[in-house]
Amino acid sequence: MKCVICDRMAGEEGYCELHAKACKSVNEKYHEWKKALEISWKEYLSKIIKNPLTGEWAREAAEYLVKSGETRSVKQG
Amino acid sequence: MPYYLAERDKKIVVVSALGHLYTIAGERKGRNYYPVFNFRWVPRYIAERGATQIRTCIETISKLASEADLFIDACDYDIEGSVIGYCVLKYACGNKETISKRMKYSTLTKEELEKSYAELLPHLDFELIKAGGTRHEVDWLYGVNLSRALTIAARKWSGKYTTLSTGRVQGPALKFLVAREKDIRSFVPTPYWEIKAEFKINGSVFEAEYEKNKIETKSESDAILNMCEEEKGQVEKIVVRRFQQKPPVPFDLGTLQSEAYGLFGYTPKRTSNIAQRLYLEALISYPRTSSQKLPPEINYEAILKKLSKVHKYKKLAKELLAKTKLKPREGTKKDSAHPAIYSTGELPERELHDSEKRVFDLIARRFMAVFSEEAIKQSMKVHIKVNDHLFYLRGRQTLKEGWLHFYEPYVRSEEVFLPPIKEGQTIKVKKLISEDKFTKPPPRYNPSSLLKKMEETGIGTKATRANIIQTLYDRKYVREERMVVTNLGFEVLEVLEKHCPPVVSIELTSELEERMDKIQAKREKRENVLMDTVEILKPVVQELKEKEKIIGEQLSNAIKRAKLEERIVGTCPVCATGKLIILYSRKTGKRFIGCTNYFKGKCETSFPLPQKGSVRPHGRNCRGCGWPTVQVRIKGKHPWTLCFNPDCPSKKERRKK
Repeated sequence: MKCVICDRMAGEEGYCELHAKACKSVNEKYHEWKKALEISWKEYLSKIIKNPLTGEWAREAAEYLVKSGETRSVKQG
Repeated sequence: MPYYLAERDKKIVVVSALGHLYTIAGERKGRNYYPVFNFRWVPRYIAERGATQIRTCIETISKLASEADLFIDACDYDIEGSVIGYCVLKYACGNKETISKRMKYSTLTKEELEKSYAELLPHLDFELIKAGGTRHEVDWLYGVNLSRALTIAARKWSGKYTTLSTGRVQGPALKFLVAREKDIRSFVPTPYWEIKAEFKINGSVFEAEYEKNKIETKSESDAILNMCEEEKGQVEKIVVRRFQQKPPVPFDLGTLQSEAYGLFGYTPKRTSNIAQRLYLEALISYPRTSSQKLPPEINYEAILKKLSKVHKYKKLAKELLAKTKLKPREGTKKDSAHPAIYSTGELPERELHDSEKRVFDLIARRFMAVFSEEAIKQSMKVHIKVNDHLFYLRGRQTLKEGWLHFYEPYVRSEEVFLPPIKEGQTIKVKKLISEDKFTKPPPRYNPSSLLKKMEETGIGTKATRANIIQTLYDRKYVREERMVVTNLGFEVLEVLEKHCPPVVSIELTSELEERMDKIQAKREKRENVLMDTVEILKPVVQELKEKEKIIGEQLSNAIKRAKLEERIVGTCPVCATGKLIILYSRKTGKRFIGCTNYFKGKCETSFPLPQKGSVRPHGRNCRGCGWPTVQVRIKGKHPWTLCFNPDCPSKKERRKK
C-alpha cells in the first residue's frame, strides 16, 4: 500500500514512515497552539500551512488533513 | 618527471612522489562484480583510469633507486605520508623500506629541513605505516563492496549507470544529516511572545527585555502589556560582574577549518587546501595536526621577530617580544607527530590570493593572540520593576583588551554602554513592544558543523573528514551550503539502514577507528581488524545481493527524483512555502524560474532566465537581498552568479554606478 500523501510504502495508518512522523508532530503541537491562541483545529492547520518554518512533510501532512476534512475530534478520540 | 641533484658529503638525488603512487585493487580484474575480499597493493595507474603520470613517476624513481646506496624517506611526517614513502621504498625501489632512514619535520623552512636532514631517524615508523595501511585496506573493503552493490543494483534495474557510493565513514556521516533533516521536515513551529520595554534615561532610549524569555500565551502577553503601559519603572537592583576571557588556544586543523568557515565561509576542504599551499611555501607549519600545543622548540621569539618585519604585525609582535616570558595558552588536544598550526614567520615570495591572505593572516594573528593576556570585561544587569513586572537592562564593556587586540578583526565584541543609573531611581517607560515569535526548527548542518560532529563522535580522521563531506555533495546526497539531504541521500541511507545496519552504525565505526589507532600502539593486530571487517561485510553484502531487485528499483526511482530536485533553486521568497524551480515552457521551450506552489494554484511567481548556455542552482543566497541565486555558464566566458530579484538593492547600486 502506498502512503496517502506520497508514493512511498505506507504502514497501517496509511502513512509512510516519514509522513507518519510529521502527522504525529502536527497532532501533538495542536495542544500548544490551542493554549497559546485559543484557535480551532482547522484554523491551526491553516496557520501552520502558511508558516514558512513548518517542515515540508509537516506541511504536506497538514494539507492532507485539510483536504481529507479529518476533524480533531476523531484524533482526540 | 623532475628530480634534483645536490651535493653534501656525497651525491644526493631528491625526487618527489605524486601523492599516493600505490593503491589497493581486487585480485580479479573488472568492476562489475561483488563481493571482493581479496586484494593487493598495485601501482595507481593499474587501478585508476587517467593516472598515466603515475607510471612515469614510478619508472623514474625505480631507475634512480637502482643506482642509490642509501635511502631517506622525506614524505610528510604523518600517517598518509608514511604510507606513501613506505610503498615507494618497498615497491618502486625494490624492498628498501627496511634500510631507509626518515626525516621528521613540521615546517618546510630551510633551517628545519637542514636540521631534520642532519638528525635523521634511523628507520621508518613501521607501526604507523601498518595502522595507515590497514585503514586504507578496511576503507577499501567497505567502499568497494557497498558502493558496487548499490551501483550495480540501480544499473540492473534502470539500465543506466549512475555512481552511487558509500563507505565506512560516509554512511554514518550521511546518517547524522538524515536524522537532522527528518526533524526539520517534520517540524511544526509553536507561537510565543517576547516583550521588550523602551526606557528613557537622561534623554536617550534604552531597550530592556522582560524577565521571562518566552511568553507562551497571547492572553498572558496582552495582560503584561496592559499592566505596564504608561507606567514608571523603578531600579530595584544593579548587578555588576567582571569576568575574564582567556586567550584562544592554538589552531589544530579542525578549529582552523571551523574558524575559517565562520569568518570567511570557506568549506573545510577549501581551508585544508589553502593551508596545504601555505605549508608547501613554508609560511605555516604542517596543517593536518590535531595538536593544540606549541612547544618551546619552535622558537617563539624567532618567529615573532620575523613577523615583526611585516608592517601590520610589527607593533603587535614587538609588544609580545617586550614580555619577560613568552608562554602560549594551549588546548588539551595532542598529536605525537606535530605541534599546532603556527606561522613560521617566513614571508610569501609571491602575491598570495585573497583567500590565502586571509588564512595566512588568521593563523598569524591567532599565533600572536595565544601569547597574550586575558581580556577583562564587565557586564551590568539593571533590574527595573514596572508594576510588579521585572525588566532587565543589560550593558557590556571591555575593561582590558588583552588578546582581543591581537585577534581584533576576528572577534565580535559588542559594547553596550549604559548611562549612570542608581538603585531606587525612577525611569519612564517610553514604549512596550510585544513581538510575535515562533519556535525554530533545529539548524541544518553545514560542512563545518558536520566536521565537528564527526570529530566529536570519533569517525574519520583529520585528513579524511573534509573529503568525505565533499563526496556527499559530489554524489548528490546533499545540496546547498546549509546541507539539505536530497531524495537520493534519503533512499541510500534507507537501503543501508534496512539491509545492512552495521555499516551505518556510528558506534561500530568509531570502535573500528579506535582499533586502528591501537595498531599504531601495538595493542591490536592488523590481521584481526581485517578479518573482523570481512566478517561484518560478508552477511551484509549477501543480503544486498539477495535484495538486489527491490534495492535497484528503490534507488533508480530516487535517482530520477534527484534529477528533478537538481533544478530546485531555493525557497520562494514571495510565498515562502513553495520552491523555486527551473522550468521549461511547453509553448516556447524557453526556460524560466517558477514556484512549485503554482501547481497548487497558490503562487504565480516567475522570473525569466538567460536562454544561452547552462543555468543551474548556485546553492547560495544573494548577499544583497538574500534571494536564492543561479549560476550561468556560457562557453568562452567566466561563469557568473545571477540574482533574479528585479528589486535587488545591489543591482540598483550597480546601475547607479
